[in-house]
Amino acid sequence: MAAVSTSAVARTLAILRKEIVDNLRDRRTGVVTLLSAMLAGPIFLILIFNLIASQAERARDLKLPVVGAEYAPAVIAFLERQQVTVSKAPDDYDAQIRRGDLDVVVVIDDHFATDVAQGKPGTVRLVFDRSRDRARASIDQAETLLRGYNRLWGEQRLMLRGVTSSVANPLRIENADLATPQQSGALVLFLVAYYGLFASVMGGMAVALDTTAGERERQSLEPLLMTPARPGELVVGKWLAVCAFDTLVVGLTLAGFYLTLKFAPLPPVGVPFLFGMREFGRFALVLLPMVLLLPAILLYVGSRARAYKEAQANVSVLLFVVSLLPMVQLFLQRREPEWIMLVPVSAQYSLLNTSLRGEAPALGQLALSWLMPALLIVVALVAVSRRLGRESILSGK
Amino acid sequence: MISVNGVRKAFGKGGEVQAVRDVSFEANDGEITGLLGPNGAGKTTMLRIIATLVLPDAGRAEVGGIDVVRERYAVRARIGVLSDARGLYPRLTARENVRYFGKLHGLAGRALETRIDGLFVTLGLTDLAERRTAGFSQGEKMKVAIARALVHDPDTILLDEPTNGLDIMSVRTLRDELRRLRGDGKCLLFSSHVMQEIAALCDRIVVLAHGRVVASGTAEEIVARAGTRGLEDAFVALIGSDEGLAA
Repeated sequence: MAAVSTSAVARTLAILRKEIVDNLRDRRTGVVTLLSAMLAGPIFLILIFNLIASQAERARDLKLPVVGAEYAPAVIAFLERQQVTVSKAPDDYDAQIRRGDLDVVVVIDDHFATDVAQGKPGTVRLVFDRSRDRARASIDQAETLLRGYNRLWGEQRLMLRGVTSSVANPLRIENADLATPQQSGALVLFLVAYYGLFASVMGGMAVALDTTAGERERQSLEPLLMTPARPGELVVGKWLAVCAFDTLVVGLTLAGFYLTLKFAPLPPVGVPFLFGMREFGRFALVLLPMVLLLPAILLYVGSRARAYKEAQANVSVLLFVVSLLPMVQLFLQRREPEWIMLVPVSAQYSLLNTSLRGEAPALGQLALSWLMPALLIVVALVAVSRRLGRESILSGK
Repeated sequence: MISVNGVRKAFGKGGEVQAVRDVSFEANDGEITGLLGPNGAGKTTMLRIIATLVLPDAGRAEVGGIDVVRERYAVRARIGVLSDARGLYPRLTARENVRYFGKLHGLAGRALETRIDGLFVTLGLTDLAERRTAGFSQGEKMKVAIARALVHDPDTILLDEPTNGLDIMSVRTLRDELRRLRGDGKCLLFSSHVMQEIAALCDRIVVLAHGRVVASGTAEEIVARAGTRGLEDAFVALIGSDEGLAA
């Protein structure tokens, strides 16, 4: 029995080694996988950081074209005191706003002075297109400034009449934001966690399909099945090879985030966002079940297809599920139930977010998140090896 | 030595496709036995049963006295199969392709490399040994597939339509190799739907039609039994049609 098991191990290792050498030589697929999984994340990070930074900049150095500045010199003076660059608006300002050349324009009503003199509110119109994300910071800033002037003016009037301003402001609103610095920048957190998960699908896909559907398509499966290698050995050897590639791609993806956040010239956006060695380690711990589970599932999907193309079509369903679950969690905006730890992908996404908020995932939750993947790995591998042992795998060449 | 006794095999729901119905024959060591029959006669199914890939519904098949159902892995260690599916790994070199199968057969190290060197010399593959098989011609790929099937020095060799898609030079190389193996005392079972192919090479012929053995013996015995002038007429008379005769 001991002799049998050593030769089984030797055969499994031979299969593992062959698949690694074979797939390492597939340069084109390798480059595409690495580019899509490894570079996409950091590129998104840089884009998002620049977006946040440029919005902050727009709000800080607000340029405000004004129509009818001559009707309300006091308003203009206030705006200029607030470091706003006031200019005369062009005649076709609404067209320019629609095109996105201008963010926001202030239009002062030509009856402004007479209305105010008669004790009626003067009309100041803000013209903008809120569907433009880029303009949002400028719009908010302009609106805040005008409201600020409105309050200031009102308080001055009350004071002239001997009334304290608290009469008109019975409510005092104080903000107490309990988010630690790392808890800000939710979009950045989402992206990093999302790409970590995404990498664990992408990393194993090409290899898993090549070693199952590809093996069948190029007619090398039948000779392979006529060797003394048992179906179980073939499956475990191939699975380990896919896991190795998946681990490599996930590791490089995380390294990409780490290096981008540490060394890339990202603009300072006031989000002291942490992805250091500690987060790297926690990510690895959380993603480990995925790096073992997804290759098993990919092998199963691949083994059901007769050709690589067919397998690719089926894998897109898996890709859809893996990318949808975190989206659902992001938009659900509710406290996640305890059983979420039993849902693969969702559990990992949740734990990745915990790690990114600077907290350590609870050991109990971590253990729970391993349960279903472990079970599914066994089910998938047994299913693949049963398929390989079936006569129908030979038909339909 | 292959012996097949009363083997049946049906496919499909409820077994409506009877691929092999009651086949018995023997193939001796030191001989090339031809399995001749038109397309759909059950040749591939019969070879796959002997190669342990397909389980028979009834009957027994043995290779060297070992049952193909009960001891399928022991049988696999003793057979080399060159089937219609002879895909190689294009990103691996010729040597790596053969080495992989050698390892799966439990060979390793110096012994394995020496074995591969020997096979490559015999097959004229030495110059191609370290090249990836992606750019190989059909004939070169076939040679690598033969080396792969023989790497563990099997005493029984099964060939399913081995000349499909080969040019004349490659067919000659294959025939020479098969004769050499016969000279080494191996048991060879060779299936083809082309009568001339079988006649040129085989010592004994088993004619299959509609999943049954309709004749077996040497070419002379078959002609004598059919009462025709040549093997071609005998073949037509036996299977009841002229499909499978090379034009």
